[in-house]
Amino acid sequence: MLEVLKPGLETSIQDWPGRQGYLKFGFPWSGPMDDWSFRLANVLVGNPVGAAGLECQFIGPTLRFQRDGVFAVTGADMQPKLDGQPVPMWTSTAVKAGQTLELAFAKVGARAYLAVAGGITNEVFFGSRSTFHKGGIGGMGGHAIKAGQVLPVGDGRGQAGRRAKEASRPVIVTDKRWSVEVCRGPNDDWVDEAGHERFLATDWKLSAKSDRGGFRLEGPDWTFTDKAYNKPPEHGSEPGNIVDHGYPLGAINLAGQTPIILVKDWPDGGGFINPYTVPGCAFWKLGQSKPGETYRFSVVSVKDAQARAREITALCNESSIEQA
Amino acid sequence: MAHEVELQTAGNMWKVLVKPGDAVKAGDTLFIMEVMKMEVPHEAPADGIVSAVNVSEGEEGLDAGFVAVVID
Repeated sequence: MLEVLKPGLETSIQDWPGRQGYLKFGFPWSGPMDDWSFRLANVLVGNPVGAAGLECQFIGPTLRFQRDGVFAVTGADMQPKLDGQPVPMWTSTAVKAGQTLELAFAKVGARAYLAVAGGITNEVFFGSRSTFHKGGIGGMGGHAIKAGQVLPVGDGRGQAGRRAKEASRPVIVTDKRWSVEVCRGPNDDWVDEAGHERFLATDWKLSAKSDRGGFRLEGPDWTFTDKAYNKPPEHGSEPGNIVDHGYPLGAINLAGQTPIILVKDWPDGGGFINPYTVPGCAFWKLGQSKPGETYRFSVVSVKDAQARAREITALCNESSIEQA
Repeated sequence: MAHEVELQTAGNMWKVLVKPGDAVKAGDTLFIMEVMKMEVPHEAPADGIVSAVNVSEGEEGLDAGFVAVVID
């Protein structure tokens, strides 16, 4: 059991791959934004890679363990301390009942992941323990954790002193500039050549008006092909309007002139075009970026994006663990 | 003794509620940051007089740990 002393900034329970199979009812997958760091945290403590843990954003929580166990913190460096003593990131650590784990602000990156041996065992809703804040489901009562709550933890036999090899971890940038893969489409034929060139030559700034549903980007205006103007009226009046259709996870959704990357708690449909899509292999970068940082996008094929995702998955297992 | 109030998170400066010379009490809100559609208020750690304000409203891309306000 984990007692919440300070909740941090909308710290939430997430599991991987999340709530899949319920989009038809309007439930997005949810799950960790940086699923690379998340899965490694679980591997470190001996859990299945998808076991529920905590996603800590920008400001971490303070938690008291109510029984002995093993934990690991990965992702953004939140300078974890156990009873005031620094403990290393990316390493499993033994904890005694009554000890307090404190995560501070994210020094490098944006989101840290806490895995506890046995996993967090809050109620499963539609196949997942993940929190979907906007729907008020999953997690603890459908919301971020709150001070005073006690998070249930399953039985697990983790080992302390296991470290994720440096070469197996994501490299979080420190110069505020990210290079992010995108795949073209589904509506790339609505944007003209100048629009595509501008999109790929711009450092898009991540807005603070972003959340687990969408990442809003600031940059130049878009230009369109004839298709965006000469269309049946049911598409809508703006060039970026289209008859309501499904939105893929990762879609760069053009709301008027503002591109919004649809992330883990995304709306699954609507009437804006999606000229590009950020593939799953690049999601960890979104999860570790902060408002004010920039993205430069580069086009990859779906095949290459899938190959990269498989490479990352291959790192999220025992082969990435060494003795600390 | 001077108290330095550091940014608790990366993000943007939404509101700055104090200026140099203001008297504040422990717990008073000094400024409010915005990150991921959330407001993050920062409070005075002690009573005192604001001697420096190193941030302004609308600043973007600030880093956690930056000393935003000093209270003497």
